[in-house]
Amino acid sequence: MDSQTTIPATSGAFVGDVRLPKTVRVENVNHFFGEGELRKQALYSNNLEVRRGEIVIMTGPSGSGKTTLLTLIGTLRTVQEGNLRVLGNELLGADRDLIVRLRKELGFIFQAHNLFESLTAFQNVNMAAELVGLDPRIAEGRIKSLLTRLGLGERVHYKPKSLSGGQKQRVAIARGLVHKPKLILADEPTAALDEKSGREVVTLFQELARDEGCTIIMVTHDNRILDVADRIVNMVDGRIKSDVAVQETSVICEFLKGFPLFADLTPNTLSEVADKMMVHESQPGDVVIRQGDPGELFYLIRSGTVDVLIDDGAEQKKVAQLKEGQYFGEAALITDEPRNATIVAHDRAVFYALEKTDFRAVLDTSATFEEELRQALFNRQ
Amino acid sequence: MLTVKRKPKTPLAWKNLTHDWRRLAVALMGIAFAVLLMFSQVGFQNALFDSQVKLIADLEGDIFIVSKAKFTLAAEKRFDFVRIHQAQSCPGVLWATPVYSELTTSVLRKMEHGKGNLGYPIRSIGFQLDVPLFTSEEIRRQTRRLNAPGVALIDRKSKTKKFPLPMDNDQDLSRSSVELASKKLTLVGTFNSGTDFAHDGNLVMSAENFARYFPHRKRFGDPLSVVDIGVVKVQPNYSVADVRKVLEKTLNKDVFVLSRQEYFDKEIRFWDKSTPIGTIFLAGKIIGFVVGMVICYQVIYSDIADHMPEFATLKAMGYPTRYFIGLIIVEALLLAVVGFLPGTLASLWLYSSLAGQTGLLMEMDRYSVGFVLAATIAMCIASGMLAVRKLLAADPASLF
Repeated sequence: MDSQTTIPATSGAFVGDVRLPKTVRVENVNHFFGEGELRKQALYSNNLEVRRGEIVIMTGPSGSGKTTLLTLIGTLRTVQEGNLRVLGNELLGADRDLIVRLRKELGFIFQAHNLFESLTAFQNVNMAAELVGLDPRIAEGRIKSLLTRLGLGERVHYKPKSLSGGQKQRVAIARGLVHKPKLILADEPTAALDEKSGREVVTLFQELARDEGCTIIMVTHDNRILDVADRIVNMVDGRIKSDVAVQETSVICEFLKGFPLFADLTPNTLSEVADKMMVHESQPGDVVIRQGDPGELFYLIRSGTVDVLIDDGAEQKKVAQLKEGQYFGEAALITDEPRNATIVAHDRAVFYALEKTDFRAVLDTSATFEEELRQALFNRQ
Repeated sequence: MLTVKRKPKTPLAWKNLTHDWRRLAVALMGIAFAVLLMFSQVGFQNALFDSQVKLIADLEGDIFIVSKAKFTLAAEKRFDFVRIHQAQSCPGVLWATPVYSELTTSVLRKMEHGKGNLGYPIRSIGFQLDVPLFTSEEIRRQTRRLNAPGVALIDRKSKTKKFPLPMDNDQDLSRSSVELASKKLTLVGTFNSGTDFAHDGNLVMSAENFARYFPHRKRFGDPLSVVDIGVVKVQPNYSVADVRKVLEKTLNKDVFVLSRQEYFDKEIRFWDKSTPIGTIFLAGKIIGFVVGMVICYQVIYSDIADHMPEFATLKAMGYPTRYFIGLIIVEALLLAVVGFLPGTLASLWLYSSLAGQTGLLMEMDRYSVGFVLAATIAMCIASGMLAVRKLLAADPASLF
């Protein structure tokens, strides 16, 4: 048998051949505010993995816990229950020294700029550079180029009083980036910015992610910058409602569209279908489907190849080989008959599987689909 | 990953302090006020202590001889005149002379139409007119007048409430009808010395007149045979310390032989330690210290409170606790040093104006400057450490 995992297909956990190191790994994290009778749960068994170089956008209504999760990841709150690893360090029960050391590897960008009024833009940014012991000459060059990049080249030595709200925010962004953090945690970084400088900031984020392997997690409601996200995490009432790898979801949708029955579905419905699929893994020689068994799942091949074998009573014959992007297992689900073929993994393969009930639910959205299908099946024989 | 110090770090403490010059000015005024308070206490204390030893300061002479029983200048404990003779015969002594002093029986009454008030005690000082005992040019000039019987000079600073005499007019003064120890006295002139805790005024007269007014100083025998203070002047080519040693060896053990400074110290030690005065001024200094601490605390606390989000951001960036403590210590030190200067200037002005008005000796010596500076620094750092708790409570999680 193939091994079923609890990993959703859209998490993108199995994309690519390298398993990149995880910058952040959240496991069963619960969080509570208040004490005694006033104790209120803010996070309910959250699980999240963020890979090196990923840009994650967190969304959700206010009070949904996304900020709490962000502050937990940022070591700004103490982990109460569950495991949380950041840059390879377990935060549950971590001591002060570890936390202070870890914070130097993080870059924070807050909604409020929090600049010292008494310091110039340069000096404010330099506070971050000094802390990590950056060589002053290197720091100076980097601060100036960052500020210039963010459109503040003329105002390097201005005090916050002489800067506009957006300019102050950009200084704060430079402060969050100057020490080349491995993980950037940002709260509405572009809220105070106009379209152009907001775009400049996210472009900068993308470069850092691509060139420096910097991981970025940001809370934002700014839909102008959704396109930079590798992953979108949606939180509702303290739970992670969906955690979707954007690129992977679009790949799945593209694959699903290749399935005639799903060809007419809207992107919205397709992504909902993709959301319901789970990752299955199998090693070469594993039997994924056995002829004669009842049908439970619909499979989409994400990687690897499988052999289709049909037993006509006398001998088992290989009738086809399926590869990435192709699907199998749909017939038994539609007709409620036993599996009409055996599928064996040819090499190491990853499938995205959809439960029968979900599969049927999609089909039921339109009666014409079934009609169409019967036609199609008929034509195939 | 230790810091390589090639360039000074951003002077955040200084920048934050000097950013808002209005607030800085108010802060410095507050600290200057505390400095002024402490300086005034130190000044008054020194002035009062100095006034206790004013008589000694007014006398010529390098070495003083007093009875071992005389615990303070006002205590009427005497020693035998023989010690003066003994001292005189020692090598290196230019002259040795007795100073006679009376207080309790020395009641001065102002008479009008044959009646008078009850009178108040005044310190009568008798001396040998042929010795230049007083440093005061005024007294030296008038020494000749003191030869007559029943005459004395009066200290212009004697309390006029108790001794309502026309001190500013010598003629009126000499016509005033006064009695000393129930005997008629003519005041032939004035001099300038000062009062202290024990003495409300001073009279200066010849030893002969002194014996006339106070014949019962010694129950039997010559009233001048018991001496209050012996004053020794050392010959110019002798060292005071050597002569003092010789005197100490020669004289009987019923007397102290003290240098000028030793006598000052002994007298001030008595007032400081054996009376409540030291404690009272200590309380005054503590009040100044506490006022300064409260002001300094307010300044540092409000600076922290106004920058909570910024400090919280620094915390989130990974600045450790010791950075913030260091920051506040530097801020407190800056406030202390910069506030000390205007405070000292104001104190100098206060000293000079008070000295002019009250006649008290207000001087800023380096000991009091050192003391007040140390107290100011301690006060600022202590209040900084109280305020820093607020900063350490800054919660970076509140920033999101």
